[in-house]
Amino acid sequence: MSLAKYRHAFVLGLQGNLVYRWNFAVRASFSVLHLAYVFILWGAAFSGQESLAGFNLGQTLTYFVTILVLQFFISAMNEDFEVSEEIRNGLINQFLLKPINYFAYRFSLFVSARLVSGALALLPLLLVLPLLWPYLQYPTHGWTYLAAVPALILSACLQFTLAYCFGLLTFWFLEIQSFVILSLAVETMLGGQVFPLDLLPAPLYEISSYLPYYYQMYFPAALLTGRIASPEAALQGLGIQLFWVLALYGFAQLLWTRGLRRHTAVGG
Amino acid sequence: MRAAQYLRIWLAGARYSVVRTLMFRGDFIMWSLVELFWMGVNLGLIGVIYQHTESIAGWGPWEMTILVGTSLLVQRLLMGFFWTNLFEMGRNVRSGAFDFFLAQPGPVLFMASTRKIDLDGFLNAPIALGVVLYAVHQLGLSPTALQWATYAGMILCGLAIHYATLLFFISLVFWIQSAKGVEGGYFGLNEFSRLPREALRGIAAVVFVYALPLVVVTNVPAQTLRHGIQGSQALWLGGATVLWLSLAIIAFHRGLRRYTSASS
Repeated sequence: MSLAKYRHAFVLGLQGNLVYRWNFAVRASFSVLHLAYVFILWGAAFSGQESLAGFNLGQTLTYFVTILVLQFFISAMNEDFEVSEEIRNGLINQFLLKPINYFAYRFSLFVSARLVSGALALLPLLLVLPLLWPYLQYPTHGWTYLAAVPALILSACLQFTLAYCFGLLTFWFLEIQSFVILSLAVETMLGGQVFPLDLLPAPLYEISSYLPYYYQMYFPAALLTGRIASPEAALQGLGIQLFWVLALYGFAQLLWTRGLRRHTAVGG
Repeated sequence: MRAAQYLRIWLAGARYSVVRTLMFRGDFIMWSLVELFWMGVNLGLIGVIYQHTESIAGWGPWEMTILVGTSLLVQRLLMGFFWTNLFEMGRNVRSGAFDFFLAQPGPVLFMASTRKIDLDGFLNAPIALGVVLYAVHQLGLSPTALQWATYAGMILCGLAIHYATLLFFISLVFWIQSAKGVEGGYFGLNEFSRLPREALRGIAAVVFVYALPLVVVTNVPAQTLRHGIQGSQALWLGGATVLWLSLAIIAFHRGLRRYTSASS
């Protein structure tokens, strides 16, 4: 399989996303607003006590700053709607006639989009960094960062593949927006974006650690912020994360082949 | 135009929206679930934090639930009455489709703001109110009929403030051609309405309590149920309502003068 065509798709994606640089910058600026809310809420919750569930205020705020950065580097943003649009408008037909793998093509575009959105998200964060700096507390042991690299890559794959699956639902449903927003609510909660999942009661935390949402955002963020305490736990997490990536990829392939059987390409 | 005529026009729009919603029942159920889930996310956050602490800025778990429930109630009403209309306004101005409203036999702002209603927003409003009632019950409070009436009036003020701030920012589309990002900005700002007033200090208090009435919209009604009616607070909320409605209406009409229709 030649990779040149996907490299071209990646470069085109970079150029296309740079056109929308202001949209990303505005979105990132609003995220700083969210960060202000998080600081005020958790600052008030910590008032009068040193720690919550074994973590101090600095560690908790570091977690939320990390989550915010990761959202722009590895989250799927519009990929589900883009796949859906291409199916609904018939644009997908061109890919059926060419020697190109649609999943790989979309993944190339996803990587380029996240590079642009991630880089732009850093700008407003750099502006407020002097305010954040006194709170940031990252772990000092090297193994967390070693484990975080594959965890971040697998998280990005998981995020993209899930969004891709939602996009493919357009083969069956004309409108997927409600599915996507409903899933987003679940992902936001069970992915640890609203609160660190280790604040859940132990049995619920245990259950959540077997769900794919845990590995979308919480797992890499927890590694990077020292909330996963041992290399053994990190390895086990990486294993489950890999399983979910492969399972979702298999499901995406199934949706693609089944969906194409229903698809009707019309027009000249 | 008389009030009865406004009501008749609004009812015609509402009837059209209901019929349209019932044509897409599956979509309606899904969107109702979406809103219910997001309400659950907000309440879930409060539930988890109070597993580990007894107070947030002096507010206990059920007091905080009244605050969050009030915020959700105002937001559901905004979704039900105005959300779709205001966001379509941004798109319509850009595309020129706003001509449609200029040709209507009624005030442009009224016609553009009330054409559609969203039933899923309304469906979840009683659930948000139920959350408030349950928290009031848990706290053992017994608000008087006057307190409830004042609370209802304050919720309407909150709805007017949210409508006005959204209209104000959407009206910028007359100048900048695109209102993209306003949605994210609205939800970002609305998060502050779920914070107790006492949690905000310094510049955050200046911005989110005094300059933008986000915290007032929810804290004043919640305090009315907790501690009774406080005249100065009610006046503050009423004043903020008049101020923001005036600002939004002026911004909209100033912007409308710049609008060039699609047919020109």
